[in-house]
Amino acid sequence: MRIIQRGVWAVLLWPNLLASSVPLDCREEQGILSRCPSISQEKLLDRVIEHAELIYRVSEESCSLYEDMFIPLQFQRNQVGYACITKTLPVPSSKNEIQQISDKWLLHSVLMLVQSWIEPLVYLQTSLDRYNAAPEMLLNKTKWVSEKLISLEQGVVVLIKKMLDEGMLTINHSEQGLLQNGVQPQMLESVMRDYTLLSCFKKDAHKMEAFLKLLKCRQTDRYNCS
Amino acid sequence: GAMMRKVILLLLLLCFTAHTRGKLHSPPAKPGLTSCRSPEKETFTCWWKPGSDGGLPTTHALYYRKESSETVYECPDYHTAGENSCFFNKNDTSIWVNYNITVVATNALGRAFSDPVEIDVVYIVKPNPPEKVTVTVMEDKGWPFLRVSWEPPHKADTRSGWITLIYELRVKLEEEIDWEMHLAGQQKMFNIFSLRSGGKYLVEVRCKPDHGFWSEWSSTSYIKVPDYFHREKSTWILITVFSTFTFLILMWLLHMNRHNLKHCILPPVPGPKIKGFDKQLLKNGKSNQIFSALVVPDFPPATSSNYEDFQVEYLEVYVRREQELVLEESKDLHNSCLKSESSTSDCDSGRGSCDSHTLLMAKCREAKEGERQTDRECSPMRTEAQRRLKDWEEEALNYAHAGIVSLEMSSGRVKTWPSVFSPLPRYSSSPLDQQSSLQMAKQLSLSTSSYLTQPGHSTKEALGQSYWDLCLSSKQPHLLNPPTPVCRELQAHSDVNISSIGHKRAPAGPRSPALHTTEYVEVQRVDNKDTLLLQPVVQGCGRMGGCFQMPHGEVYSKVKGVDSDNVLLLQREGMGEDRCPCVEQETNEVTGSCHKSCTVSTTQKPSGCIYTAVPVRDEMATMANGYVDTATMCTLHTC
Repeated sequence: MRIIQRGVWAVLLWPNLLASSVPLDCREEQGILSRCPSISQEKLLDRVIEHAELIYRVSEESCSLYEDMFIPLQFQRNQVGYACITKTLPVPSSKNEIQQISDKWLLHSVLMLVQSWIEPLVYLQTSLDRYNAAPEMLLNKTKWVSEKLISLEQGVVVLIKKMLDEGMLTINHSEQGLLQNGVQPQMLESVMRDYTLLSCFKKDAHKMEAFLKLLKCRQTDRYNCS
Repeated sequence: GAMMRKVILLLLLLCFTAHTRGKLHSPPAKPGLTSCRSPEKETFTCWWKPGSDGGLPTTHALYYRKESSETVYECPDYHTAGENSCFFNKNDTSIWVNYNITVVATNALGRAFSDPVEIDVVYIVKPNPPEKVTVTVMEDKGWPFLRVSWEPPHKADTRSGWITLIYELRVKLEEEIDWEMHLAGQQKMFNIFSLRSGGKYLVEVRCKPDHGFWSEWSSTSYIKVPDYFHREKSTWILITVFSTFTFLILMWLLHMNRHNLKHCILPPVPGPKIKGFDKQLLKNGKSNQIFSALVVPDFPPATSSNYEDFQVEYLEVYVRREQELVLEESKDLHNSCLKSESSTSDCDSGRGSCDSHTLLMAKCREAKEGERQTDRECSPMRTEAQRRLKDWEEEALNYAHAGIVSLEMSSGRVKTWPSVFSPLPRYSSSPLDQQSSLQMAKQLSLSTSSYLTQPGHSTKEALGQSYWDLCLSSKQPHLLNPPTPVCRELQAHSDVNISSIGHKRAPAGPRSPALHTTEYVEVQRVDNKDTLLLQPVVQGCGRMGGCFQMPHGEVYSKVKGVDSDNVLLLQREGMGEDRCPCVEQETNEVTGSCHKSCTVSTTQKPSGCIYTAVPVRDEMATMANGYVDTATMCTLHTC
């Protein structure tokens, strides 16, 4: 009787045996990505987009917080745009350009942006910590953003691998700190510098989100982006 | 000269004043940029508000500079967007780039610069309202709903995902004021339920990019919901009709069963169910008729009912020696009767009738009247006493005739009596024969209570016997008052056994004529088992005989009353002679000490001797039927 029961269980569960033994669409690369059940590309893209949206929202909030607290005058706010550190990056900036570039290039642009902001955010965090009257919420938000950016980077990397079937892009942070390159001599005042960082980051976050959404509508027609 | 100078000065003044009164030409005031908006994140338009122009024709120009370069560009299009606006087309629009825009107002006298404004196109997106808003009424099982659908503004490139819009719509009835808002998200279609039938609705839609401003509301769409109320109404009509039918049926059923219902809810108050009781008579108020109607002719039932049903406690009389049992009829009878007359405190069972002396005495006397006609003597008291005595004698005779009945101890009940009733002394001057005595006994028994009708005189004798028994049980000083009513009543209550005994024994009665000697028995006491202990009393003329000696003058004692201490207050009635013999009591036999007081009266009037007796023992005080008081009394002998 017991043998029969076990036999029945074995028969019912045999597909699972096969399943567990077959590696799914995951590639082991440098120990970062282990065996994992595959996730569809659409879902992955959706998650990345959600991530980017959230990052943008938080950065927008922290920027406005900072503005209200430290940059009261309007003319000071206008001085921001000139010193963004990422302006040197070959990122398309108009719709026409964006629509002309390929998916691959879009993804890579996103990745570039993400990667270039990881370090400056850390710097920003340390700088804000030195403030006397920095509000707790601001610090928390910036901290949160810097953390989430790292996970966004990971997601984009996976996405690139999935969509483009490319090899693993090494997450190299070996680049020289863009910050040093982009430091404006006149921006010595820490307040202005931090504000510049925040606003530039906010803009770039919006860029990332826009690129990803574009990519999404390119990829899947059935979503009916219109 | 001087005149001319004055004129010239005046003219100059006039010119100056004229000049000053007119518009002051001045450089223009500073214009201001009011807003810049981009409808689709591809183009944008800026509007400015000019200041005062200073009286001179002023031109405005917009200059802008992109963040990355210092090159100043002028607005490419001043007309597309209307007056005081600048339209930037796609080629000129760069996103994620800060524009530094300035408006310059220029007139003949000067120019004015507005404050520069930094804008990023991405942050100034305000789309156009949704287009092609259509509202239709859809049916859903008889419950209509509105389906609103729309299109995104044609300029907004949602298809490529360049811009993602979320929509919102609002609905209201025509006559209402407040709108009902619904957030539709990214979908382009929405359903509205819970409509009022026949109502006219207004629907509007607007949209917003994920980071940007809400658009204006679209143009209002009107829709009229058709009347679908009749569907509801038909259902209600059905329900109403059905419930009406049910209600009617229920009412009909109730009406048919109203009597039963009445019985159920308001149970009728049970009316009197006494046989022969007529409610009408009661209503009329004639109580005599009522009560006469109540009298049932054949009650008590003539059938041989079981006298055992009469729950009467019986007295057990323990007879030691048959021969020595002497009946102290007179004493007991007298005592009991007297007591019944005057006692008010004792109303126990079997004795109740004794206490209702009015009725019983009346009957008593009634019965006696006829009999004692011949025996009437001059003194009314005497007559009465004599009569009573005679009665008593007759009854005694009765018992004598009845014969000795052995003590009936079988059932364990009372019955001492018949055997006790040994032949009675014949003290009466006119002895009656047996028959007459029997007759009288019958009559006597008959007269007492009508409810105890027994067939045959034997039963009567039994009654009499029972009566005697009761009289025996009471230890009364020999008072000569005939205890007729009391005893008769007691008869009635008496044991069935007794009566049956009487019944049985009756025929045997005459069989024992031997016992004609008079023997008296004193009730010594009643022990705990309700046994009456009798003791023969020495016949003594002096005592008891004297008491019964009628010719010497009847000496009676009446029980005046019983006080609280169970003391029997006796009143002796002395007739004739003045002397009031006080009799010693037999303390030994009876109980304890009794003392007496005696008052002597010299008059012919009945003297009252008041004897007081002290109850000796408590146990004696409580006899079965409550004859107690008498029992507890010490036997007192009247004079």
